[in-house]
Amino acid sequence: MSTWLRRVWHLINRRRFERELAREMQAHRAMMNDPSAFGDTHRLIEQSRDAWGWNWLDESVQDLLVGVRMLVKAPAFAVTATLIVSFGIGLNLTLYQMLQAALFSPPAIRAPETFARFHRHEPHSSSTGVAYPVARFVADNAAVLSAVVVQAGSNVAWGADASEQVEGSFVSANWFDELGYGALYGRVSSDALDARDGVPGVVVGYRFWQSRLGSDPTIVGTTAYLDRKPVTIVGIAPRAFPGLDFDVPDVFIPIAEREYFYPQSALLREWNSDSVDMYGRLRSGVSKAAAREALRGVMQTIAREHPEVAAGQWLEPLMATDNFMRANERRQMMTIVSLIAALTGLVLTVAASNLGNLVLSRATGRVRELGVRMALGARRSRIVRQLVVESIPIVALGAACSVVFALAAARSIASLVALPPYLDFSLGWRLVAAAGALASLTLLVVGIVPAWQVAQQQLIEAIKDGGQHVSRALDRAVIRRVLVGAQVAGSCLLLVVASMMTRSLQRVLKTDLGFDYERAAVLSMPLARHGMTPDEARAYWYAVKDRVLGHPEVQGAAIVTAPPLGGRVFETGFNDLPGVKVITQAADPDYFSVMRIPLLAGRVFAPFEQGALVVSRRLALDMYGTLDVIGQPFPKSAGRARNRASDVASLRKTEGTIVGVAADAHSIKVTATDVAELYQALTPPDFSLVYLVAGARTDAYRLPPILREAGSIDPRVIPIAHAMREDFDRRTRGPKLASLISSAIGALTLALACLGIFGVVSYGATLRAKEIGIRIALGAPRLSLLRVAVRQVLAPGAVGLVVGLLAAFAAARALSAEPFYLQSVDPSAFLAALALFAAAGTIAATWPALATLRANPLEALRRE
Amino acid sequence: MPKHAGLPPGTLVLLILRVLRPGALHGYAIAQRIRQLSSDQLSVEEGSLYPALQRLLANGWVRAEWTTSETGREVRSYRLTAKGLKQLDAEQDDYQRTAAAITAILESA
Repeated sequence: MSTWLRRVWHLINRRRFERELAREMQAHRAMMNDPSAFGDTHRLIEQSRDAWGWNWLDESVQDLLVGVRMLVKAPAFAVTATLIVSFGIGLNLTLYQMLQAALFSPPAIRAPETFARFHRHEPHSSSTGVAYPVARFVADNAAVLSAVVVQAGSNVAWGADASEQVEGSFVSANWFDELGYGALYGRVSSDALDARDGVPGVVVGYRFWQSRLGSDPTIVGTTAYLDRKPVTIVGIAPRAFPGLDFDVPDVFIPIAEREYFYPQSALLREWNSDSVDMYGRLRSGVSKAAAREALRGVMQTIAREHPEVAAGQWLEPLMATDNFMRANERRQMMTIVSLIAALTGLVLTVAASNLGNLVLSRATGRVRELGVRMALGARRSRIVRQLVVESIPIVALGAACSVVFALAAARSIASLVALPPYLDFSLGWRLVAAAGALASLTLLVVGIVPAWQVAQQQLIEAIKDGGQHVSRALDRAVIRRVLVGAQVAGSCLLLVVASMMTRSLQRVLKTDLGFDYERAAVLSMPLARHGMTPDEARAYWYAVKDRVLGHPEVQGAAIVTAPPLGGRVFETGFNDLPGVKVITQAADPDYFSVMRIPLLAGRVFAPFEQGALVVSRRLALDMYGTLDVIGQPFPKSAGRARNRASDVASLRKTEGTIVGVAADAHSIKVTATDVAELYQALTPPDFSLVYLVAGARTDAYRLPPILREAGSIDPRVIPIAHAMREDFDRRTRGPKLASLISSAIGALTLALACLGIFGVVSYGATLRAKEIGIRIALGAPRLSLLRVAVRQVLAPGAVGLVVGLLAAFAAARALSAEPFYLQSVDPSAFLAALALFAAAGTIAATWPALATLRANPLEALRRE
Repeated sequence: MPKHAGLPPGTLVLLILRVLRPGALHGYAIAQRIRQLSSDQLSVEEGSLYPALQRLLANGWVRAEWTTSETGREVRSYRLTAKGLKQLDAEQDDYQRTAAAITAILESA
């Protein structure tokens, strides 16, 4: 046994060992001729205890108890301190908890280290989707994969009358087996989903089962209707069953049964499409690179056998352990995360500086006591240790509360923004460890710095003058000013950020978006699943549009590839236009009048007029430097265009002549500041996936039933329609919450900083009450005395303000990109924050000073 | 009573370890044995014996166990461990070297 272990063992069994020692000594005494010569047993036991080296622990426990007792005696301070610490640490823990659940840990599936998602790459483009037959072919022919799993999300109608749209997920039969989950009720295994006795079996998702089916387990085995076709509910997915894309499908449908629902659907047979998300399990020992190379061979075989599949494609594996993210996506995400973490870290800095100052003030009241201790032989290190240990209860209490805070906050945010139910926000050792780490950092500022500062003073001298000299020295200490400056700088920066977030939200909510979403509604009809070719779809869409236009409530209608506030995003970057992404939409010429987007110059393209383009004001100004661009070729110079598409089947470069300039309308990316719009006429292939937007004469909420009715020419088609306002509300929910949270944080840190200023001024004024009293009695003007009282915070406050504003410039630049889109340097946000801070800070500084000045000077003089 | 009851500083541990070499002894016996062997010249105060024994225990140089003495009393005896034996040899060497050096100085002209 090593010496250390022996000591720990002794510590654990200390009571027993000391009892034995006492017994042993008693025996010794009994054997002595003169027992009185033995000495005091208690003292000997105490000395023996020294031999084991645990004295420091005993002393620390005593100090700790003193700390606890002091807290109990000063409940107001205890509550304030606990709140400050739990706010500072809790905010950071909340962020950590959310990131831990959603991003830092891989999806909770079986053996994530061998599970990958596959993106389809071509030399100049990539797609997240893979054609179903390709996935099947890979499953049958790739030796590097032990399983291939596919998923295709799509809206389906629920209920015999198809009255409700739910989120369906067409999955391969091995979906649940490969992800490693069983059923909550019923069955979810391959054989359950493979059942082919006429009626397909489906599995319902946990959230849907809870919210829509009333958590009824007897639902298993009953018949339900999906897109008017009967299905059997065979099982219910467990709550913890993860969505791989953060999606929470309401119902899982076997993809092999797709033609049962849509007999004409080509999804299972089309070799050149992006129809499914493809996942696979790498055989053990197969590396990511090896899988990529092996699959490249399989893809070549497919391209040889199927001429419609382009040659040179490969499947890029993205591992589950990387959360299916590419290296650059991870980097981007980490940048965003570090930005937010820096801001929440700042809150902790402000909170800790604040409490550190408070602790320092309290310690100055005890310099006499500490002086006596030193006079009795305590060393400086002992004094530091005592003061640090005494502040442990505050920090520990605060840290414990912060864990509760984080758990509650993470859950409230999760329910507010409807995060998937499988994300686990429960208490884990990681959270506790993070709380411990942050508490130690806090202790550094709250405990060690003030204690060190106090111990450096001439404490023994303090016995003579009642600690006045030391109190003043501490009051003037540089560290105090540094702490005030840090609070001011931190809260100022946070205020600016909060103010910018609020401003950017206002920009979206209040100011004109450039298009009228309030009176519009969107109709979508999945026609491809019924086997309609683009030409048939086009005929159908225009028939529907005529019916829509025939209704008296409808003011106008237009077909477009991407409806405002939703739909797929197709962004292009041009060399002429650095830092701006061009969003291309193809639309009917009526689109501009329906969405009320004004035309600033030129004309709108004619229906199906190819090569005629309408650019937005920003695109014209940024690319050509003028609005006078009619007749100009687009793009300005034939530079390289970079495409980025999320789910566009074929990428094409937009080229042509500008015929018109429209006003800016960030209809796709509402909050973005780095996008410009480009419009062109629809082409026949566009009709594989388009939408119809309609404008209402009176009320947009009257439109959806009209649109649904108009879309039901073909009884197989189940149209989906909703008011655009719903999309808008959904889109702005995130920014609204972010703005709310950041405003709350900004207000709280402002309150903290003001509390800090108040404390310092108030304490200084109390110390100088006598001096001030004398000066008032001698007739000094009050204004000059006020200056004396607030002088202490003036310099650190001003320095902090400047540092905070400068840092805010940097923060604003960093937050101007995705996903925050804050206006890089928004002067009004800066001014608002500055004004708010100046007002609050002035009140916090002058209030206690004025209170002292107003007090009767003779009162102060009479005091000791 | 002997004139010089105290021990030279730093030698208590060495003496305890030395008297334990022949076999286990309890606290009282250790004190007795040191007095005996020094012909009453050296005596160990109880006040320093027990803290010293605890230090030996903490360092793992001795082990303690409860036994019954010849007089039928329950006593705690201390036994030298292998580590303690090594320590004894080292301290003995040190002491002898120091004593020889001091003697050499004292006997010089």
